[in-house]
Amino acid sequence: MSRQLNSAFAHKPQYLVPYLDRLLIAASRYSASLLLFLVCCTVAAIGAITIRDMENTSAETMKMYAVSVRGLQNIGELQYEAQETRRSTLYALTTSDSNLQVEYADQSRIADQRVKDGIVEYSMQANDAEEAALAQRLATDWERYLILRDEVLALILEGSTKEAVSYDLSGGVPAFERVRHDLEEVKRLYGENASKGQARLAASSRRSTWRLAGIHGFTLLLSGAAIWVIQRSRMLNAIQLAKLQMEFVASVSHELRTPLAVLNSAADNIADGLIEGKSTLRKYGAILQRQSRSMSRLVDEILLFASTEDGTQRYVLQPLQLTPIIDSIVKETEGIVRDSKFVLDYKIESDLPFVLGDVSGISKCLQNLISNAIKYGGEDRRIVLHTFQAGREQRAGREVCVSITDRGIGIDSSELAHIFDPFYRSPRVSAAQIHGTGLGLSLAKRLAESMGGRISVLSEISVGSTFTLHLQVAKGEDKKAVTSSFPSSLSQHK
Amino acid sequence: MARHLAAILIALEFALCPLADAANELASFSEAPIIEQSAQAEPLVIVVNRSNPVDSLSSSELRNIFLGSRSHWSNGRRITLVMRDPGEAERKVILRDVCNMTEDQMKTHFLHGLFTGEILVSPKVLSTPLGVRRFIFNVPGAIGYLRLHDVDDSVKVLRIDELHPDDKRYKLHVLGQVANE
Repeated sequence: MSRQLNSAFAHKPQYLVPYLDRLLIAASRYSASLLLFLVCCTVAAIGAITIRDMENTSAETMKMYAVSVRGLQNIGELQYEAQETRRSTLYALTTSDSNLQVEYADQSRIADQRVKDGIVEYSMQANDAEEAALAQRLATDWERYLILRDEVLALILEGSTKEAVSYDLSGGVPAFERVRHDLEEVKRLYGENASKGQARLAASSRRSTWRLAGIHGFTLLLSGAAIWVIQRSRMLNAIQLAKLQMEFVASVSHELRTPLAVLNSAADNIADGLIEGKSTLRKYGAILQRQSRSMSRLVDEILLFASTEDGTQRYVLQPLQLTPIIDSIVKETEGIVRDSKFVLDYKIESDLPFVLGDVSGISKCLQNLISNAIKYGGEDRRIVLHTFQAGREQRAGREVCVSITDRGIGIDSSELAHIFDPFYRSPRVSAAQIHGTGLGLSLAKRLAESMGGRISVLSEISVGSTFTLHLQVAKGEDKKAVTSSFPSSLSQHK
Repeated sequence: MARHLAAILIALEFALCPLADAANELASFSEAPIIEQSAQAEPLVIVVNRSNPVDSLSSSELRNIFLGSRSHWSNGRRITLVMRDPGEAERKVILRDVCNMTEDQMKTHFLHGLFTGEILVSPKVLSTPLGVRRFIFNVPGAIGYLRLHDVDDSVKVLRIDELHPDDKRYKLHVLGQVANE
């Protein structure tokens, strides 16, 4: 059954890019937030680009509008003032009153000054050589007309009306026609430039449209990719979890099968009357007892893990004296240590303060760590348990540590982050046929955390590992310490 | 025919002249509470267009010009005489100190000159100092007169008998008008 389950979940989907899956699994914890951050950044960047693009287009439109309006105004004003200059001059012909004639002459000069200013402005705003040349030509033609206009004005004011009309017809009219032609040229050139600007704006608008479409397409693709990655990451996580759980079921089944087989065999022998003599019967009784206890421990461990998993395991923390608890644990594990042919050295510092915790929690946690050390302790078969106080100088953050050191196979640094994950079993351990459920360290960690403590680990391949249980020092609760249930007469160094 | 018509018009103007004088007298009388005649005299300057090459005139040349006896400047440009309205203090000074004539004599002189063809154009009459200044600015051959404080850079001031207007021996002065506080 276990083999079937294993084979069922040993099947791995055939992906085109297995490296991508490994990457996704490695980043699975952070992938969702990472991708979300990436998408947010992309959206922000796209927003910035879009806003900039819109601002550019808007600025270009405003510029074109301003240039158009200003250009139209300039041309209109130039044409009007040029006509006004001439009209005022001719008005002077319509009266013999010198006062009125002077007034018309002044009006003509004011208008001609405005034309001059307009030409200077047009010249300053010339965008190309053609416009500059036209501005220059307009200025020259206007100056020529003004010379003639001045003469006409003088003749009118002198009273030589006939001469003034004659002079204006022969010189003034052609000169003014040249000015008018120049202004028409300005208008035509302005129209051409406006058309060019419109074409530029249209091109810019098309470019912006394409750019925006591209950006949005890219955003869609990125969003799709993000969703795909998140979904895939979740799927891979689910597959991995299912695989771990099935491996756990297989391991548990295997762990149960061994004592069951022994129990079965012993029971068969007793039932078949093959057992003779009290000593042999006692021996069988001891086997049955050991195997049933082993099974019971396994079931207890699973139940405890389940209770920590769903949060029903709650400890009432109280100040505890650690020495008798350690002594008790050493006694309780004495049998398994001896059976495994291990030696447990333990050392407890004197004057340890009381810790905050739960007796059963601390016991279970340390038992798991000792079992773990026995399981992976290697050929040296020596375990060192050391209890000491850390942060002695500090008022806050003081803790009592219980370290369990073995000289076994060690843990690869890449696996250190996963060894406390539920059901996790190192591939090296599986390959070495070391049985286990993958719950021991996870359970120990949860128990430590539920008592406000923690577990740290230092390990080196082929050198060994040190797991340390860190427990908080109780504050001002020394006299209430629970010590009664443990003997305190054990030696501190064995 | 045209000359006859001009003579008739001048005669008509002659007839209307005393009426205008009387009106001006009345106007100055009605303004008496606001404007008072100052005892301090102000130079009356002779001004021409800035393009005019002439810088100085003798008293006799000035008289000939103002009586229409001289019709052209040395550069060939026709002389256009600019006068203020009859009755104005400045005009009175010119008639008295330059032309040595009364208003009536002046009018008779021009009527006669135009009638006989000795004078080509009658003087242009401007109502304000600004009008005089602007006229002279616009007409290269124009000549007129202004109080010294009415002069600006748009016109050129001539020396008379080589005397500047600020010279003590300068002859042409007009009584100044001061705004009544």
